[in-house]
Amino acid sequence: MTDSNSFHFDRRKLLKAAALTPFAGLALSGCGAKPAESAAANKTVTVTSYGGSYNDQLTQTILDPFSKKTGIQPTLLANTSLAALKAQVQSGDVQWDLVEITAPEYETAVAEGLLEKFDYDIISDKGLPGYAKAEYGIKYLSFLFVMAWDQKVISDAQAPKDWAQFFDQDKYNTKRSVYNQLSDSSVLEAALLADGVPFDKIYPLDVDRALRVLGHHPGKDRLLYHAANQEPIQQLTSGEVSLSTSFNNRINAARTDGAKLNFSAENAVLAGDYFVVPKGAKNKEAAFKLMNFMSNDAEAGAAFDKVTNLTLANTPALSKLPKEIADTLPTSPRLADKILVRDDKWWSENLKKTEQQFKLWQAS
Amino acid sequence: MTAATLTVRPQGRRAPGEENPKVRRRLSGWWLLLAPILVFDVVLFLTPLGKLVASSFADNAYQRVLEDPLVLRSLVNTLSISLASTIVTVVLGYVIALVLWRAGNVTRVILFAVVLLPFWTGILVKNFAWAVLLQDNGIVNAFLQGIGLTNAPIELLHNRFAVIIGMVHCLLPYAVFPIFSSLTAIDDRLGLAARSLGAREGSVFRRITLPLSAAGISAAGLLVFIISTGFFITPVVMGGPGDMMIANQIDYYARQLTDFSGAAALAVVLTVMVSIMVAVYQRVLKAGGQHEDN
Repeated sequence: MTDSNSFHFDRRKLLKAAALTPFAGLALSGCGAKPAESAAANKTVTVTSYGGSYNDQLTQTILDPFSKKTGIQPTLLANTSLAALKAQVQSGDVQWDLVEITAPEYETAVAEGLLEKFDYDIISDKGLPGYAKAEYGIKYLSFLFVMAWDQKVISDAQAPKDWAQFFDQDKYNTKRSVYNQLSDSSVLEAALLADGVPFDKIYPLDVDRALRVLGHHPGKDRLLYHAANQEPIQQLTSGEVSLSTSFNNRINAARTDGAKLNFSAENAVLAGDYFVVPKGAKNKEAAFKLMNFMSNDAEAGAAFDKVTNLTLANTPALSKLPKEIADTLPTSPRLADKILVRDDKWWSENLKKTEQQFKLWQAS
Repeated sequence: MTAATLTVRPQGRRAPGEENPKVRRRLSGWWLLLAPILVFDVVLFLTPLGKLVASSFADNAYQRVLEDPLVLRSLVNTLSISLASTIVTVVLGYVIALVLWRAGNVTRVILFAVVLLPFWTGILVKNFAWAVLLQDNGIVNAFLQGIGLTNAPIELLHNRFAVIIGMVHCLLPYAVFPIFSSLTAIDDRLGLAARSLGAREGSVFRRITLPLSAAGISAAGLLVFIISTGFFITPVVMGGPGDMMIANQIDYYARQLTDFSGAAALAVVLTVMVSIMVAVYQRVLKAGGQHEDN
């Protein structure tokens, strides 16, 4: 220690320096990063959706043309979740700019103050249908919760015509896979429809009755649950089940890839998802610009509708679609009296309670 | 595991109490050497853990989760599935370790590969492979029907049996290695001496091998049980809705209900519960050990 003024390398000093290096790293990480980030703001936009075939379709029809037109570089992530959004907002480190969530989740997020108000000066609402525009988001997508079957086992002629047949164990001696995430699964509605409840009497949902129906037909041991949207495709194609609930676009995508699956749009449940911007998102403006493009660009919207068989909240796109495509969309007037419209309000008020009851029923 | 540690005697030992001035001086800055790991632990482990515990006390989280019948169920599931998996794993692990210990070099290498390959494989891969084997139209059911033992698929997947199979497969290496190392520490001459005095194989095993490898068994049991309580993927992939464990419940609170304080409370409940069980386990082992000494 006596020769501390000299420039001799001494082993102890070296060790001390090495040991302190992590502190230096910590100190540095606090500064320096911020200015670089803000300079790049709104040149990119991070979008989060569900993943799988849907993400490919979204990239191809919306994000690529948007990027070409505006120069803003989108990044599309999978596995969207309200929990991750909430964690990002609460920690103050928001990574996502535009996030897809379900309708009941939208209500929760609004109530908990997790979202940015949508700026309808940047987003023109001309292209938006009435149901889509909301204060903190846009219900940008409509899809159908449908019954699907494996054509290798059940031909289209023998396929279930309604939910009563779908759940009928005498008619189909197979397991059925059902989607267990009630925030966008309509399996309880399906059970009530199977029990003969008409479309306009489904809500408020009689959960006890729905569970009783499922317990008898097909019976708990004949039900398998899936928690992700690509799972039923795998379960159907592998032969694990011959009947499953799914979404119309997922089955269509699998059919395009050559899978021998089919679905029926009749007796389907019409539901929708929102795009929202988390509070404190770094590229808020770019996200709104993307929403503006998505809701108003007729070409991109038509391409999206055509590829996915889903309805984008983009009215100009509808006029660009050939009739045979327009007729198969979830929001087609041709289907209007053959499908149930999911009651977002009921679900946002009752989701937690119902989910708990459903889980308890499954486990008992 | 302690049984296997080598005791190396330092050369030129000093009498107790005598100090080595060289060694003392060299150690004066020891805490600086620990600084990197301290920083790592404090920043990346203790701070988040503290935050988690703190957040678990918000909004009556404990009352909320403990009143949830699903939580109670998954706590019971966690204990019973973990106990069953631990027992099966330790018994199977003991058999494998015995064979490894007694095997020739070639067999030993092959067996090690068999134990280690799954250890290096991702848990998701292992579980999905089991699901493919056990599903209704899977290989096992096809075989059973092929040889005429059954005429319809039997339920092998999405039940507790499948969860335990999946878990045991993942846990086996954690049992084999502690037991194996306690076995290799046993002096071969003990067995020879016993046999030369007329002991049969059974009593050599019961009176020499088993007691001397007890430390390995208890270490394996503890390790396997603690790891078991945190299983998450296996109940999802291989279990039914009635086999969900506490980790699944934490996930449900965090991801589905976005109830972070509830999830934190559950994590604390699990940690406390396992800590208590570990303390009891060690107390019982110690008492057992003292009995034998008397």
